[in-house]
Amino acid sequence: MASETVESTATTDRRSVRGRLGLDGEALRGWATVAPVILLYLFVAVTPVAFAIYASLFEVPLLNPNWTFTGLSNYVEVLTMNSFWSSLWLGALFMIGSTVVQLLVGLWIALVLNQLDRGQRFLTAVAFTAYLVPTVIVVLVALFMFDVEVGVLHIAGSTLGLWGERTFALGDQTWAMPLVVLVGSWKFSIFVTIFTLAQLRAIPDRFYEAAKICGASRWEMFRDITLPRITGVLLIAVLLRAVFMFNKFDIIWMLTEGGPAGATTTLPILAYRTAFLHNDYGVANAMAVVMFVFLAIGAYCYFRAFDPTAEVNT
Amino acid sequence: MSTPTETETPSETETEGGTQLSYETRDRLYHLALYGSAALFSAVILFPIYWMIQNAFTDSQTVITEFSWLPSPETVTLDNFGVLAAGAVPRYVINTIVVTAGTIAVVVGISLVAGYGMARFRFRYKESFAQFLLLGYMFSPIVLGLPLYLIWSEIGLLNAQIGLVIALSSISMPFAVWLMWKYIQTIPESMEESAWIAGASRWRTFWDVVVPQTKPAIVACALFAFAIAWNDFTFAQILLPSQESTTFAPGIMRLIDQGGYTSWGDIMAVSLLMTVPPLLFAYFLQEYLLKGFEVRTR
Repeated sequence: MASETVESTATTDRRSVRGRLGLDGEALRGWATVAPVILLYLFVAVTPVAFAIYASLFEVPLLNPNWTFTGLSNYVEVLTMNSFWSSLWLGALFMIGSTVVQLLVGLWIALVLNQLDRGQRFLTAVAFTAYLVPTVIVVLVALFMFDVEVGVLHIAGSTLGLWGERTFALGDQTWAMPLVVLVGSWKFSIFVTIFTLAQLRAIPDRFYEAAKICGASRWEMFRDITLPRITGVLLIAVLLRAVFMFNKFDIIWMLTEGGPAGATTTLPILAYRTAFLHNDYGVANAMAVVMFVFLAIGAYCYFRAFDPTAEVNT
Repeated sequence: MSTPTETETPSETETEGGTQLSYETRDRLYHLALYGSAALFSAVILFPIYWMIQNAFTDSQTVITEFSWLPSPETVTLDNFGVLAAGAVPRYVINTIVVTAGTIAVVVGISLVAGYGMARFRFRYKESFAQFLLLGYMFSPIVLGLPLYLIWSEIGLLNAQIGLVIALSSISMPFAVWLMWKYIQTIPESMEESAWIAGASRWRTFWDVVVPQTKPAIVACALFAFAIAWNDFTFAQILLPSQESTTFAPGIMRLIDQGGYTSWGDIMAVSLLMTVPPLLFAYFLQEYLLKGFEVRTR
């Protein structure tokens, strides 16, 4: 796309170096406009990752400035830790459970919203509301609703016999994980809805009209017109949800702090505990690096599924 | 898209096999399922919000002793909102507002300039840069927050709200820059050219011609930055460990943890206040939001 004019064979003079990088006046100004973004990225994304890799090679007691170089022993420690593998397993459980629930509920809401003749605008606002309620408020209301004394959901659940009258459901070994998944999905399902709804609205009405004239049933219209057109966006939504949920820290920490007895300790929770409660910053950074590797794999899949250069040319 | 309703002509029933339900019955069932679904998900979404509002306005003693589905006139009170006048909560709320405003300003400012540059200047590696930006979409607060904690404490940004603003801005960047870039591409360049011919400088043209036309994109970016900052817990928990400087989310969670602070009436009152701004935005700006996501996902 950039000007290919100065792609010369001369190698040493200044002009050709600038030419190879395409650095004419316009390009310089172009780079100047994006320089703040690059600086922010270097500062907040690239440096921390590099720093985490570096710090993961040391033993770092948080309150002590003396670092001890220990090579890869932090990684060995992480990989031989029982709690690492159990939290990886719990994290996978949390990720898969959340993604499935959010995909199904989010898609369902999007399809319903798209089909409504009346109240569409109002109900769309209602659905968006859930996504915009801050996570901490979702958590506070959930804690209130599961309160052992007066929580409405606690009372509902104990009346149905799901848990005992004096059992705090979020502190219960069997219920903590499913409830954290459900509370999170209350908010995040709408993410899938927003993604899908924009795409659904972009499908021209005439496709459905033509199908109707040919006598297609609703199910056939959904299967042959709607579904192929939203598969791409659904894949992206699923991938993003899976990656986000695998790295979810806030909602789990606020609801349970990883408890009871580690029942909701996913990898991010374990890393946080290791750094700030066990004062083992080096090992925590090794975990952060492991999470980053997972993220990078997710990013790679994201790029394969969703080619950004295709967008650039539109 | 309104597929149903207009086609309820009786002739269509004849084309169906005898074993199937008639078209009208199926249509009615379909509408029942459709509106039933809408009612169900609305109830699931709205009930917790209703519950929060009801208890925010109920006498805090009644909240923890009695249970009632509906508010009753005797116990309705505004006393719970007094939580905003005393104690630590007001400081948390103000800190959140400061951080959110800062994040919005930084994100909108930087993404406007970068989006303009990417749309109007030709330079090599622009596409690679755009891909590099999308990579930022995959960074999570916990992965960045752990190393940032020591970096920030080295350079004195730990417990400084500007440190949190920088962190939050950078995770908002991929969306904001892409949106601005895509949006400014849709604005015809001819207006800028005529301004140049009239003798305006590039900067002046940007400010007077381009910026006013990007208003929808600015609103969408500001909303996005708002949502990121207003929602944040992880970065604030890690980067603002002191009780003085911290924002609402970590602040209130620490209060609950430490002192067994469970005046649910107070908590619901302040929760309601923290929910109102996003709700207002959701209702009045939903078209902007959808537009933003459309640009993003296409």
